[in-house]
Amino acid sequence: MRLALCWFFLFLVGCSGVYGHEEYFNENLKISSLQDGRVSTTFSFETILKGVPPRDPRLLNAPDSSQHYIVFPLALGQILREYAVTELHLTLNAGSWNYERWGYPEESGVGTGAELWAWMGAGAPMSIDDRWQGLRNALAGLFCASLGTLDEQRTTSPTHSYFPHGILPSWNGSSAHELRHGSMPSEHVCTENLTPFLKLLPCKSLSGIASLLNPHRIFDADWHGLGIHVLWSGESGIKVRLSFQGVMDPLRPSISQKRDWSLESLFGRSIERSCPAANSSNIYVTLPSEAYNISPEPSKIVGQLASYDILGDKSFNVAMKWPRSFQYSPSYETSVPISVVRTLRGATQASGKLSLVISNHRSTPQSLVYLETMPWLVQFQLHTLHARVDGRIRDDVISNISYMAPVPHSRPATFQAELRLAPRSVTHLTMDVDKAFLRYTEHPPDAQRGWDLPPAVLIPILSDTEDNHTRSSNRQRLGQPIYTSTLLVDVATPDFSMPYNVIIFTCSLIAFIFGSVFNLLTRKFVVIGPDQPPEK
Amino acid sequence: MSSSLKEPSALFYQSKAVKRGIIFSYWTLILLAVPLWWHTTSIQRLSLPESRINSRAQEHLELPVSLCVADVEIKSSLQSFLDAKARDDSGHWWGVKSRVYSRNDCPTTSSYLVRDSQTTIVRRNEIHLPLSNFPDAFETLANLINPPLKTNHNNRVVQYSRQYRLAFTLLNEDASAGSSVSNWDVRAGLVSRIQPILHKLEPLHNFTIESQVQFNGRLAFQPQENSDGSYGVTPEDLTVFINSAEWSLSSSVSNDPVLHFVLFIPSALRRPLHILSPDGQISRSRSFLLPQWGGIVIYNPPTDDTGKNTNLPSETNEQIFKEFSKELLSLLGVPMLPNGVKRHISEAANLSDWQIDALMRRRTAENVKNTQETLTSIVKLVNQIDNMPVKEDVRDDVQGALEALEQSHSARSLGEAFRYSAQATTLSSRAFFNPGMLALLYFPAEHKYAVYTPLFASAVIPLLIAALKEIVAWKKERRASVKDSSSTTDSNP
Repeated sequence: MRLALCWFFLFLVGCSGVYGHEEYFNENLKISSLQDGRVSTTFSFETILKGVPPRDPRLLNAPDSSQHYIVFPLALGQILREYAVTELHLTLNAGSWNYERWGYPEESGVGTGAELWAWMGAGAPMSIDDRWQGLRNALAGLFCASLGTLDEQRTTSPTHSYFPHGILPSWNGSSAHELRHGSMPSEHVCTENLTPFLKLLPCKSLSGIASLLNPHRIFDADWHGLGIHVLWSGESGIKVRLSFQGVMDPLRPSISQKRDWSLESLFGRSIERSCPAANSSNIYVTLPSEAYNISPEPSKIVGQLASYDILGDKSFNVAMKWPRSFQYSPSYETSVPISVVRTLRGATQASGKLSLVISNHRSTPQSLVYLETMPWLVQFQLHTLHARVDGRIRDDVISNISYMAPVPHSRPATFQAELRLAPRSVTHLTMDVDKAFLRYTEHPPDAQRGWDLPPAVLIPILSDTEDNHTRSSNRQRLGQPIYTSTLLVDVATPDFSMPYNVIIFTCSLIAFIFGSVFNLLTRKFVVIGPDQPPEK
Repeated sequence: MSSSLKEPSALFYQSKAVKRGIIFSYWTLILLAVPLWWHTTSIQRLSLPESRINSRAQEHLELPVSLCVADVEIKSSLQSFLDAKARDDSGHWWGVKSRVYSRNDCPTTSSYLVRDSQTTIVRRNEIHLPLSNFPDAFETLANLINPPLKTNHNNRVVQYSRQYRLAFTLLNEDASAGSSVSNWDVRAGLVSRIQPILHKLEPLHNFTIESQVQFNGRLAFQPQENSDGSYGVTPEDLTVFINSAEWSLSSSVSNDPVLHFVLFIPSALRRPLHILSPDGQISRSRSFLLPQWGGIVIYNPPTDDTGKNTNLPSETNEQIFKEFSKELLSLLGVPMLPNGVKRHISEAANLSDWQIDALMRRRTAENVKNTQETLTSIVKLVNQIDNMPVKEDVRDDVQGALEALEQSHSARSLGEAFRYSAQATTLSSRAFFNPGMLALLYFPAEHKYAVYTPLFASAVIPLLIAALKEIVAWKKERRASVKDSSSTTDSNP
């Protein structure tokens, strides 16, 4: 009995941590109503591997120590160790996030398509680019996504805009880490990505909060995306956060124009049983400022946030009801300081004009970091970059430009600059671009559709008091990134059915010319007079 | 000028010699271009050392086994016994050549000492056995040198690889139903039961170890309900026990073969779960082995009233890793000691050198045979398919494999022979599976003709006709001139 009690106690302390390192698994779901009547749902599954540092890249050739995990996903852990990845962020999103109506997302990585960025330590026997390639291919295999195509033609290292979210360890005094970033806007997220994602969770989608991830409902959402974030936070060890965000529309199926929702109505399921591996399991609901009715009664309310602890509950469902029907508002208040519209203009297949319209909604000046990672098939003409405010050219808006020129057929361009927006102003940025002429084999399948270009990223600078540009100070002064929508560029495409026709046609022409010339050279000419009878 | 126009045959390029010159030069150019065209369109096919491969493929490996005995009489009788054994089952004894020496001229390195004693005990390279007990003692010795293969165990053993991954999984069928196992002391189990084996096997294989705990691993079938309320897995069900679609047992981050060891905890709602024998009775065994894949142990923990999940008790942990270790030995093909043979007290818990040596001999013979077969297949394949390119990397791999094979034959010690044989088999299979050999297989000659004919047919036909016409004209002319000259001579009296 005492032994049983002891085991029971150990279980309560943490279902882990008895042998070797400690592991924790925390899951939560945040639900909040948005201004336009939609409901934002954010799942977050966090696994902590306490006291374990990332793999030292200098020892990559030596056999790795054994890996023993309880709730930490082994498949992901193997990839991280195989390529000695210190920090990793992968997001797969569908749709474009509407910052004006929905505000900032809970998970900041909302760029359309796939985005992968990783920090890797230098000094390994394998080069960072080789490891990056291995990582891409391994993750592509793990998540059934075409991440393998994030090759050197799409890989950049935008160190002014992306900063580690965790701590980069220093091995033997050297903490040299390099950033690799790639995005693939044409990647579509669907069930084939969710299934391997769920397999990384200790309870899969069979119990706990993850059981709400019903592919029929979540891929029906107006916006949806999943993310994998791995970082090292020093003492507390390696954190892996798997997240899923969806923006659902309860008004769509509703007849009475009411925003009422419940877990059952949003996901088609409620929670039947809790996940036995979880250390905490919480559902948070943001309470609206107007009249509402929520059931069951929250176990805790802090400010506007109601929370439910569902660990150990047999079944759980939460429902929110509004007494009145929803009225669409003509305008929305937004917490995001700026809004941005990016377009690619010009009708020809040889050149065009990139245009950004950035509005500052605040009554204070706003500084931003502006990042473009452009595949080489669209080439910037930097001398044509102009900023106009109220129709006048204002070149003081743009400063601190850093530009890595593209290399045709191999490297994309990285353009980073700081923008300073005047209070309550609309700034127009324009730049001429050239569209490349691609080789026959470089065209993707369905070439006539055009090429998707990755979103630009605008990151507000929180305080302007910076004077040194060290990495840590930069990280602190940058706010949450804002992703623009993706672009579609139409480059000149050949008629792909032609090659054989061209061969035949050219051959006939050559044969014709050859025959004529040859005949002229070798034919015997005779003169036939009108009175002379032709020679026999 | 005007006169030449009226008389085109007077134009210089209308002269017969120039015309023939033009046709001749066209043809010369075409004939000269043929080798160039041939060179640029042909497939690179380097020659493979075929005769060397064929002679090596016939060769018999001879791994010497030196036994030293004190008694001269026993020496000759043991030698003849072992020779008869090798003759009777030449397939099984392929590659093993036993020689018995007397104690005085015993080779100093890698020989086994056979001592007379009452009990049968092996210790390092020595064996104590009752030699007076003919033929049983000799039989035991023969089985130690070359352990017999059990017929139904043949396919169990995994293919040789230098590196294996061992993946240990604690798999709960449904931990949310309660009374399941939430953690195990995998480190203790590995240290006490697995690591000593891995240490002994170091000359043959390297291992990487990983472990995980899973909380939800549904079965893909419904276990049969027995009359006593327990559940059973029939032998047919065992073949589909692994639900690889839902159990993420191992990732594909490396190409090393993986051996899986799964501790399966049935759901609290379906306990106890037993393995059934073919006649439907509950089998005493709680573990089973999937050939070349791994081993599974089913453990039914006591159902707790509180329904809490617990950690695996340490005694059970120990027992389960003992079963895993047995399964590991079986999968790797480590032979058991023959009946009645015991290890010396100092190495009782571990594998004896006799077992390791026997395994190494078997693996060496396997590797050598495998390499011989692969090399002959490569030669056959290349000869069969004319379109198959053979590039430098394939040729180098084949040559490397051959060299390693030769070195394996002439190696001085068993360990060395084994290392070279492993190298030979790796190189030969790399050459066999070289992706470059498939490059042009799917671009058949018909396609080439389809591209060439529109050009060549239309260009070559006028050339041919012109050449034929000229030849005919030239022949006619010659005949005419011969006739002419003959007629002139005739007319001249």
